[in-house]
Amino acid sequence: MIPSYRAAFQWQSRAVLGRHLTVYRRNWHTAALPPLLEPIILLLAFGVGLGGFIPEFAWRGRPVSYLAYLAPGMLAYTAFMTAFFQALFAAYIRMHYQKTWEGQLVTQLRLEHVVWGEVLWAATLGTVYALIVTLVLAGFSVTGWLQLHWASAFLVLPLLFLAALAFATLGLLFTALVPSIDHMNIPFFLVIMPLGFTSSTYFPLEGDSPWTQAWLVLNPLHHLAEGIRLLLLAGEPNHHLVAACGLFLLMILILIPVDERLLRRRVLGEG
Amino acid sequence: MPTLAAHPNAQNEPVLLACGLVKQFANRRVVDGVDLRCRAGQVLGLLGANGAGKTTTLRLCYGFLQPDAGTIRVAGVDRHTDPEAAARWVGVCTQDDTFDTDFTVRGNLEQMSRYFRPRPPAVKARVTALLERFGLDRYANAKPDILSGGYRRRLMLARALVHEPRLLFLDEPTTGLDPQARLEVWELIDTLRREGLGIVLTTHYMDEAERLSDELLILREGRVVAAGHSRAVLGNLIGEHMLVLDARDPAVSVVRDWVRQAGLPEPTRVLSSLHLALDGPGLAQFSTRFGDLRFEVRPPTLDDLFLKLAEPS
Repeated sequence: MIPSYRAAFQWQSRAVLGRHLTVYRRNWHTAALPPLLEPIILLLAFGVGLGGFIPEFAWRGRPVSYLAYLAPGMLAYTAFMTAFFQALFAAYIRMHYQKTWEGQLVTQLRLEHVVWGEVLWAATLGTVYALIVTLVLAGFSVTGWLQLHWASAFLVLPLLFLAALAFATLGLLFTALVPSIDHMNIPFFLVIMPLGFTSSTYFPLEGDSPWTQAWLVLNPLHHLAEGIRLLLLAGEPNHHLVAACGLFLLMILILIPVDERLLRRRVLGEG
Repeated sequence: MPTLAAHPNAQNEPVLLACGLVKQFANRRVVDGVDLRCRAGQVLGLLGANGAGKTTTLRLCYGFLQPDAGTIRVAGVDRHTDPEAAARWVGVCTQDDTFDTDFTVRGNLEQMSRYFRPRPPAVKARVTALLERFGLDRYANAKPDILSGGYRRRLMLARALVHEPRLLFLDEPTTGLDPQARLEVWELIDTLRREGLGIVLTTHYMDEAERLSDELLILREGRVVAAGHSRAVLGNLIGEHMLVLDARDPAVSVVRDWVRQAGLPEPTRVLSSLHLALDGPGLAQFSTRFGDLRFEVRPPTLDDLFLKLAEPS
């Protein structure tokens, strides 16, 4: 196996992951509040509030409530946003300001372990936050506002972990590229907004133009949102899940060596 | 189960043996054929002006950077063929504070131990012992950002020692410290040397280099220009005597002409004085020629060497 990928399974990467987990565990009560409150607020504001103004919402020709449409999209969006931001913003702080990476790189850890440690941690946090959203959705199901195929939910979390891994590698790419913390808004406007809002997370993206079709085929977040939606609303395993897995694996395969190379240049001045 | 036993070669060779190190950044050779050797219980001082290649040499040796050419052996282990095993025996105190600000002082030491395999035995007891030894026990549960400069350095040193290394790298360990804190760090380094640790340090402070180092390695533009005991290095590079003149004396221009004609190295201007390195016969000739001039003769110091190294080549 190529060293860049082999490092994912070595103890050094787990040591970095363990370090982040230890820090998070100390602050979990405050750190868990935003991911708990955000989906509740969004589901109430958009799903129930805005959804109240859209009585005849249709998805793939089927009548569904806007709340039911929104719920699976939020799962996909949470995994995407959390992993991307953790690998971008938090990793940048550790790399540049806290010099945590430099302190780790004078031990038996090498840069590939630090990279994998950051990616694995961002993916873990993205999955945990998505799990919190799932619990909120379960709460809405108990109240009768939402009907989901919960038997299919066990498939969703591993897929969200894979998605979060892939989006973390994308976040880390910008960590390696942004000149300073003042430029963090560039990936926000270049990646988060275009990808997030044209991915069938908050509204269905449809159209016959070849550009729209190409975007839908190549956009992993679209496949993730639609795949989870078909699974949770209709209980149907579907081609979007396969496409999402394929695109996420491709992202990881390509971006890990690229991240490593760019960060080697940035952190060590080599390459 | 791996154990903490050293490599069999470790008994027979220095804790650090580096040969022909080369490192290039953007077509510039920052390190150019440097050899290093440090035995257990020895302090090797790396000295040179800014940009001489000290920190890069150190970073190559402790594995932060990879050399373009050359070999490095740590405690009998080849760093190229087994980097993980070589890194196990190395402790590093970087120039900047790189402790983990998300952890307490005690947490920093415990977390550092998790970055090494085999894990040091009895970590908790070792951490407690290090906290006491470095006077950090009263800050054990505080975050490191409340520590003064001297205590931050102590924490960096304690972190570097938590896994029981055989070789310690100190990159400008007392930069920015007040005189008392510097003295305390010097004493700690002295104790570590006596305990048999091999130590390689870089410094800008000449008194520090002279006081702590058993051997000096002088770097200039990435190359070793002198190596050995400080007195021998000074003799080779500077000369036996340092003559100090008042640079405002009108006769200085005549002295400069004499120096040029005698083929001696150019004098160095330091504020209002002129420093001229001379050997015994040179000093005798100078005294005969400029007997009526006011001057002072003293042994050369590492400061003189530093000023000489800082001159453009």
